[in-house]
Amino acid sequence: MIQLYLTLIGARVRSQMQYRVSFWLELLGFLLVTGLEFATIAILLGRFGSVGGWGLAEVALLYGLTSFAFSLAEMVGRGFDSPFERMMVMGAFDGVLARPLGAFFQVLTADFQLRRLGRTAQAALVLAYAFSQIPIVWTPDRLLLLPVTVLSGFLIYLALIVIGATFCFWTTTTPEVINVFTFGGEQMASYPLSIYQEWLRAVFLFLIPVGFSNYPAALYLLGRADPHGLPAWSAWLAPLAAAVFFGAALRFWRFGVSTYASTGS
Amino acid sequence: MDDRMELYLAVAARSFRRATTYRSAYLAGIITNAFFGALVCFVYQALYAGGGRVAGLSLNDAISYAWTTQSLISIGGAWIVSAGISQSIRSGDVITDLSRPWSFYLYWLSRSFGERAFNLLVRGALTYLVGVLYFGARLPAPADLLAFLPAIILAMQVSFAFSFMVNLTAFWLLDSTGVTLLSNVMLTFLSGFILPVAFFPPALQALVHALPFESITGLPTQIFLGQLAPAQIARALATQAAWAAALTALGLAMQAAAMRKVVVQGG
Repeated sequence: MIQLYLTLIGARVRSQMQYRVSFWLELLGFLLVTGLEFATIAILLGRFGSVGGWGLAEVALLYGLTSFAFSLAEMVGRGFDSPFERMMVMGAFDGVLARPLGAFFQVLTADFQLRRLGRTAQAALVLAYAFSQIPIVWTPDRLLLLPVTVLSGFLIYLALIVIGATFCFWTTTTPEVINVFTFGGEQMASYPLSIYQEWLRAVFLFLIPVGFSNYPAALYLLGRADPHGLPAWSAWLAPLAAAVFFGAALRFWRFGVSTYASTGS
Repeated sequence: MDDRMELYLAVAARSFRRATTYRSAYLAGIITNAFFGALVCFVYQALYAGGGRVAGLSLNDAISYAWTTQSLISIGGAWIVSAGISQSIRSGDVITDLSRPWSFYLYWLSRSFGERAFNLLVRGALTYLVGVLYFGARLPAPADLLAFLPAIILAMQVSFAFSFMVNLTAFWLLDSTGVTLLSNVMLTFLSGFILPVAFFPPALQALVHALPFESITGLPTQIFLGQLAPAQIARALATQAAWAAALTALGLAMQAAAMRKVVVQGG
């Protein structure tokens, strides 16, 4: 399966490299677009000083963690965006169901956007800035928490992409919904979770657990206390939240597939 | 210019009507815009926890600004709203459009205006209403609304001319998604969509004032919210008109250049 995944993804990457100028422009574009996300935060904090008691370097840590995870999910999961939408509109999803491979696997391999490394690079730069400004004592548990958090965040964002795409089974075409989930989650998580009202904090921890992509981990790394009493050790619950959420997304997807009614002729 | 006014009006009317038929699409659009408007407001509420004014703007100013720009997304206020021109270039359909007995530019302009008129009157207005009801976004004064009308028409002209040029790069690059992405970056950030330009550092403000993007979003938004004095409104409208004329001329020149080297794909 992994062999097959790599073969299919390799073909995607090679075909994208045919439009070489466009590829590099887009990679640069993603670096810039996402760079402007952080520039926006920097401009706001330059004017206001801090948000919810968090300064620029600390918000950079939040932003870098969530943006890094999001970039990986976008690179891997974009098959669920326009390629899947095209399948739905053209009725080509019929063909997917007829092949001896899972629908999830086939849609997943319908695209792989290497150019999203532009965002990965930008997130890494923001993280480097954050770590250079904040004196974090790098104990083994803190070092371990970094990849654990990023991988959990990646799974959570991938699950969001899948959930957004699943709505296509009923609406045929709604890529904008994916944006609400993914970009909305990412934008929400770019600021400390503590600034939101209680019900929103609950939603982003326990319903759509994007909050786990960075906030508890940042508390843990910075040795900060949450004003609403969220314990820092909850950072270690991120993989659990991610696994449960991804499992739920998969089930929702399977339910969507089972209700599929073709548009094709 | 053409004298086939009736024809272009019919194209615009059809485009308006077509936009009305995608009900679930524009409902989803309104929900999306309102969701992001709300998120921005929560952040502003936290930033303004100390009260007062920052860069001359109060919390209510910032919130009203955010809802206005969210409402302008569907008329091209944040990024290029696809008009289908570059797809028609990639598919080769463009040759049919070019051989029709009318102006290629005005045809697409009419299509875009029809759709955007609908987007402004329905999508934009409903999005703003959410801001008014739930976040206390300010209702514009009648005089400001009156000044907003020419401002938004000019904004749509500038926005269309810019996206026309970006789309036309497909004649040379075949795939214009990279250029589109970079253009969107500039549009989102330098138009005053993402933040009020007043929040920018001085050097960035000077850059924004020297570029056309503010004419698309920042200026009409400020007029809508009554943030400009009458003399400033006049200057803003003149700036918009100048950019509309300049970018339209550039777009037409680009079209002429494209015609000299047209290679049609597909068959």
